[in-house]
Amino acid sequence: MTVNLRAIEEYLCQLATEKVGPIIKSKSGTQSNYELKTGTRAVDIVTEIDKQLEKLIWDSLVEKYPTFKFIGEESYIKGVTKVTDSPTFIVDPIDGTTNFVHDFPFSCTSIGLTIEKEPVVGVIYNPHLDLLVSASKGNGVRVNGKPFDYKSNIAGMSPLVLDKSVVALQPGSAREGPNFKIKLKTYENLLSADGGFVHGFRNLGSSAMTLAYIAIGYLDCYWDGGCYGWDVCAGWCILNETGGRIVGANPGEWEIGVDNRSYLAVRGCNDDTGEEQREYIVNFWKCVEGNLKYE
Amino acid sequence: MTLAATDLKAIEDAIVKLLRDEVGPIIKSQTGTMLSQQYVDKANQVDLVTKYDKQIELAVKSKLSELYPTFHFVGEEEYVPGETKISIEPTFILDPIDGTTNFIHGFPFSCCSLGLSMDAKPLVGVVYNPHLEQMFHASKGNGAFLNDERINVTARPLTLQKSVLGLEGGAERSEGPPATNFDKKMNTYRNLLREDGGYVHGFRSMGSAAMNVCYTAIGLLDAYWEGGCYAWDVCAGWCILQESGGKMVGGNPGEWDIPIERRVYLAVRGGCQPQEQDAFIRALWAQVDAPLEYQY
Repeated sequence: MTVNLRAIEEYLCQLATEKVGPIIKSKSGTQSNYELKTGTRAVDIVTEIDKQLEKLIWDSLVEKYPTFKFIGEESYIKGVTKVTDSPTFIVDPIDGTTNFVHDFPFSCTSIGLTIEKEPVVGVIYNPHLDLLVSASKGNGVRVNGKPFDYKSNIAGMSPLVLDKSVVALQPGSAREGPNFKIKLKTYENLLSADGGFVHGFRNLGSSAMTLAYIAIGYLDCYWDGGCYGWDVCAGWCILNETGGRIVGANPGEWEIGVDNRSYLAVRGCNDDTGEEQREYIVNFWKCVEGNLKYE
Repeated sequence: MTLAATDLKAIEDAIVKLLRDEVGPIIKSQTGTMLSQQYVDKANQVDLVTKYDKQIELAVKSKLSELYPTFHFVGEEEYVPGETKISIEPTFILDPIDGTTNFIHGFPFSCCSLGLSMDAKPLVGVVYNPHLEQMFHASKGNGAFLNDERINVTARPLTLQKSVLGLEGGAERSEGPPATNFDKKMNTYRNLLREDGGYVHGFRSMGSAAMNVCYTAIGLLDAYWEGGCYAWDVCAGWCILQESGGKMVGGNPGEWDIPIERRVYLAVRGGCQPQEQDAFIRALWAQVDAPLEYQY
């Protein structure tokens, strides 16, 4: 099967900017009635608009690419839905739902495609900032449709070292138990003068936006656990095309799948051997306190 | 000295023009262009100062002294800890580049923050983020604006559990024992997040105190809790917050009325009843691990 990835990227960009974006923008901050995903988890929010948009995206994609599979946040069934080798769209209709409910301008739509489980197309669109970041494997990255020169962007950066980096961190919606403890202890280790002593952390409340921001050079890395394939699939492809790398959040996890549930994403650097990136990852992992575990 | 609302509006307009025409272009064109060796160390390597801070402060100060020769001036760059005091006279308070780390890393949340205080309370405030082209401005009695639009925070309930807070790591990172401000902050963040604590919807960190106060003023954040920043980080935002119906109190429990240089703050949005704000403030204070201590 030959697939024109660039053409798919174009189509997804059009879908994101023309159909999905306007609805996210107009409905942001208007949804006071939201559901709680799982009983006690009163901070895991889903709205009616998430479901509507997923259907809209699904319908469009099925019509255009009837043989491709589709995984979406809202239609996902725990333990049943699996990423296979077939071409599969992996979609988060609204990434950053809490932002969406609170009208914090970092909700976006994130649409990715995997083939043989590898992210090969990624489109992220934030209608509040009118920022469209897209990529397809081997075709580089575009920002708002224009080629993004990631090489000169990175050429202007300092070497990638932990104590000069700005890292993105998000506590997520699980607020008790071992993973929550590991996360907060790791944050402390990263910030502490006796630990990673990073320049700072940022929290945008959207995994997809965070990955897009790393790809365009605003952030150095992103460490998280608890997210899903649809949160990272599109951003993963975009980051790959800028020389970035995604590994596991836990020490030693050099090779992971899209559905790993915990991730460390790192920007590209000026070192073609990849050694600078590897060293950064190893140093980062030293600050990770314990092992994050997800089903 | 008395300043009427019309005087304050004229000052607000002059500051808007100054930041838009002379400061914004420098911040926008120079962000992310510095290499590590050009950093100047201040307290430690996390607190980064650049030559652009100094350049902007000099330019703003000289323009203000021309326009308002009798007013005092306090800027981040010329501040001397323990010596510089904010007088009760009209005083311009400037942070040439708030969010210096953002500025250095090219993260689009650095801004310029310029306020005017009298009797240690803010009267005029302008915060300009040239990357997002967001100009927040207000003066006492004249309302608050984002660019040309009046800020009207959408009316809705305010409770701690359903809130999104601005929280930052800050520059002070030493661990105890005895418990440091860093330790207390981390414990407070844990309290605010955890299921048997505040269990807030989430927190956001954009790396700029002035932007956090402004985002609270327009209701994108419900509140911003901070310790360690200075008067110049909050003076302008404070005025914008007040004029949009928000409230600023101390970050430590019980501090309802604080001077502008208190260094520990809690900003709460408008769009709700004053009683709701006060209940929210008490609920948040209940999660504060221990009072933060800073010299001021």
